[in-house]
Amino acid sequence: MIKVKNLYHSYSKDDKYAVKDASFEVEKGEIFGFLGPSGAGKSTTQGVLTGLLQLQKGEVTVAGYDAKKFSKKMFNDIGMSFEQSNVYNKMTAKENLAFYAKLFDVETKDPQELLELVGLGDKANLKAGDFSKGMKHRLTFARSMINNPKLWFLDEPTTGLDPAIAATIKDIIWNEKKNGVTTFLTTHNMFIADELCDRVAFIVDGEIKLIDSPRNLKLQYGAKFVDIEYIKDNDSARESLSTVEAKDRNRIKELLDTYEIQTMHTKEATLEEIFIKVTGRGLV
Amino acid sequence: MFKKIWAIFIRDLRINTREFITIWLLAMPIIFALAINALAPSINDSTVRLALVDGENPVQEEYLENFARVSLFENEEAVRERVEKRDDYIGILRDGDEYYILTQGNENQAIVDFAKTLQVLYTLGYDIEDSTAEIIELGRNTPPFKKMLVNISILFGSILGGMLIAINIVEEKGDNTISAINVTTVSRMGFVLGKSMMGLLLPLYGSITVLLITGFGYVNIGQMLLVVLSATMLSLLIGFVEGLANDDMMTAVASFKMIFFPVGGAVAVAEAVSDKWQWTVWWIPYYWTYKGTGEVLSETATWPRMLLYTGIIIALCAVVFIVMIPRVRSGLEKS
Ligand SMILES: Nc1ncnc2c1ncn2[C@@H]1O[C@H](COP(=O)(O)OP(=O)(O)O)[C@@H](O)[C@H]1O
Ligand SMILES: [Mg+2]
Repeated sequence: MIKVKNLYHSYSKDDKYAVKDASFEVEKGEIFGFLGPSGAGKSTTQGVLTGLLQLQKGEVTVAGYDAKKFSKKMFNDIGMSFEQSNVYNKMTAKENLAFYAKLFDVETKDPQELLELVGLGDKANLKAGDFSKGMKHRLTFARSMINNPKLWFLDEPTTGLDPAIAATIKDIIWNEKKNGVTTFLTTHNMFIADELCDRVAFIVDGEIKLIDSPRNLKLQYGAKFVDIEYIKDNDSARESLSTVEAKDRNRIKELLDTYEIQTMHTKEATLEEIFIKVTGRGLV
Repeated sequence: MFKKIWAIFIRDLRINTREFITIWLLAMPIIFALAINALAPSINDSTVRLALVDGENPVQEEYLENFARVSLFENEEAVRERVEKRDDYIGILRDGDEYYILTQGNENQAIVDFAKTLQVLYTLGYDIEDSTAEIIELGRNTPPFKKMLVNISILFGSILGGMLIAINIVEEKGDNTISAINVTTVSRMGFVLGKSMMGLLLPLYGSITVLLITGFGYVNIGQMLLVVLSATMLSLLIGFVEGLANDDMMTAVASFKMIFFPVGGAVAVAEAVSDKWQWTVWWIPYYWTYKGTGEVLSETATWPRMLLYTGIIIALCAVVFIVMIPRVRSGLEKS
């Protein structure tokens, strides 16, 4: 569905690249996660893929269209949810969706049903300008589904939403995958990525550091960890240690010999821990 | 594509009929027309201006004053001088036993006819009661003051269209919705056309409304729309440029004040300055609209002349377009 080869992009049109030599492919029907801290170049990449930003250097094919000559027709098959919600404040939620629906040539979804899907069913006739940030974000997300896209770009779809609503959004994305939709998901939420993505790319400072499935990553990098809680100087202390690295194993032994152990759990490394390990960077 | 342009237009129309300031803009042509009717209510304010020699024939003078504004001059030479100025003064002078009508040649034919009729009626000895009805009928399109106000209102309608566009572009920019439109099947051209519709329809409806309300419904509306809409292209472009350049509705509207200098200048020169200085405002497209509309209002317009004016307007606008369009394009891309 998406092919990217040696993509570069610079806003200042010089060698200060927001995206540097990025190459990846997204298969039909998969959820591909683009993970990285903010400023990493995720939205920029997505901008080039959707034609919002002009292709400067590299080869990009999206849904069979070459980015050098994107056709407006292709947007019949594409949905795009923006990181910064962008809806008409002076129109109601329903009017926003109904208007947008008219801008496609394909069959569109019923605005009211879509609003209900994202939990805004009872707010359909309120002006978007009176919505909270999170509600606007959900409206922007709902709008991206209006034309039943086969290829779906989601830029931080759960950012700023409370956990219950984020879970709803996650379920919706999962459902669409079952309908065969291909999704390009940008996020810095590792839990969402972990649960949804078939494959993830780690991107930092405009460069892709690695691409793999969360499962492989865990097998590869995610050596088992133990969380140990123990009493030290009449106080409880806690350490998280790898069960494979020699240094950590010695430390575990030391703790067991020296201190009174309160609890001890094994756990898998999270995607976030792997990200930090691979890129040497946190996610915020 | 047509369906989508229409959808964009209908959206704008809906939003514009919900907000105070845009409702105000939409109602402006009607307000103007009513104000004109209040200011220049009827033909009886006699804006036909006659120049006579003082004391030459007091009875005739008194008679004519019932129907026209009569100015008295010292002698024939002074009358002649007055008539030769740009505006529509008509001299009535005596030659032996006969009276003749002195014109400069560029006066509105209806005014000349009106003066002739007055003179004939006087000679035949009709008094006011007998003649008023006929005179009103004949002089229906003669008051230049009213004509000028109508013409200015029509010109203003074209500029209002630009303001409306600026307001609607500011909305899209403020809500960041252009990027959302960019990921639909609507092309840039489709978007621009859709956004232009309100700005095109306001002058269209505005000028027709003004004509109908002020009693000019009988003129050749097709000819007038030709010169009005061609200049509206320029108003629309200015609307897009100002909309993209401003972040706030009120400042976008206020920025249109810069356009009032050339427009006001063109109107002032056309109305009050002698022929030999008219060229100083030839570069202003709105001047040609004003001139064309003026001719339509006095029913002296011909299609070839209106097409000529339209050609001039389009040529002048083309220059502005070539300079401005890259700015609009990059403005739409950035949003
Ligand atoms: N419109 C822009 N103009 C200039 N620089 C930009 C613009 N948008 C983003 N950038 C810069 O490009 C880099 C990547 O940004 P972005 O792609 O938005 O990151 P992400 O989506 O991963 O948070 C950042 O350094 C950001 O400051
Ligand atoms: Mg981003």
